[in-house]
Amino acid sequence: MKNKSLLRVRNIFPPLVLFLLLISGCASTTQVVLLPDPDGKVGTLEVSNVKGTQTLNQAWQATVSASMDRIPSEPKLLEEEKVRQVFREALEAEPIPPVSFIVYFRTDRSVLSTESLTLLTNVMHAIMSRKSTDIIISGHTDAVGAIDYNHRLSLRRAKAVADILIARGIDRQNIQVSYHGKGNPLVPTPDGRPEPRNRRVEITVR
Amino acid sequence: METKNASPILFEPKLEFMKFSLIPICLVFILVIAMAEANEPKAGFVKNVSGKAFIERNKVVTAAKVKDMLRENDILVTGNTGSMGVILQDNSVMSIGSNTRLVISKFAFEPADEKLSFIAQIKKGTVVYLTGLIAKLNHSGVRFETPAATCGIRGTHFAIKVEDPGN
Repeated sequence: MKNKSLLRVRNIFPPLVLFLLLISGCASTTQVVLLPDPDGKVGTLEVSNVKGTQTLNQAWQATVSASMDRIPSEPKLLEEEKVRQVFREALEAEPIPPVSFIVYFRTDRSVLSTESLTLLTNVMHAIMSRKSTDIIISGHTDAVGAIDYNHRLSLRRAKAVADILIARGIDRQNIQVSYHGKGNPLVPTPDGRPEPRNRRVEITVR
Repeated sequence: METKNASPILFEPKLEFMKFSLIPICLVFILVIAMAEANEPKAGFVKNVSGKAFIERNKVVTAAKVKDMLRENDILVTGNTGSMGVILQDNSVMSIGSNTRLVISKFAFEPADEKLSFIAQIKKGTVVYLTGLIAKLNHSGVRFETPAATCGIRGTHFAIKVEDPGN
């Protein structure tokens, strides 16, 4: 008796799941629109389901997939204004993308040049416009010198940058400082070779 | 007073026993949860919130606040007036409009171990996404799944709308 009823349940189950999937698929029409990047460039977007793929490569181009069992519609160019209307809330909530800066140092020095101090003004603007509470500062050296010495030098460089931002009014709690010595070069070199591009502090404002 | 309340004293040994056994069990339980939470890597954080916006984690729903940490398997939820913007660890940015439900079903950003993937499931609502380092370093690393389609992304900016299945 028990076996019989179990079997029946099993037989009903797959069609039931398929049916439910089909209804939910039909109702959950998906519209995908390609937007221009903040710098104006336009990327590529592939929209696919089990039946096929559409490729979007123009700004404001869109495709609609009504369900998994029908190929997404031919790409169609939409009016920018209409797209902005449909996605207004999400577009207004879109955070400004994080930005990174690099400050360079002379050999064995952790003092910022006048040029670097000017760059830190841009960093301050980036922090303010984002109301950033997540500023990541990492110090680095080139491959000249001992590992321990370079660790300390890279920490001094990172702290020098952090101290200036703090002096200009940034909350210390919003800054994370890390130091890498020669362990994380921008331009890989053999050990012992001077490389100005690796004597740096990277600042990411999120 | 104390002598009159004789009967509760009878129960005291039992209560005492329960206290002793429950406290360590609770402590171990809390510790295990805390360790699991600490081990779960950060996927990103909440950058801005307006109206009714929530984070659902392990079936517990809390109002989203700026700076809240996000993890894999978190669900971003907004009501009929809400919106939310988040920044993920790979510097990609994502925002959702009202009446949206989005599951961060997978997030791994460990370039040193070549673990680079972000998979989101949009159950309903509107989403805008600008790719970051995961899409740049792993061309098939970012995917948005909806009930009717899957979006594979190559370094770009896009918007997705999923009609509410309930409508």
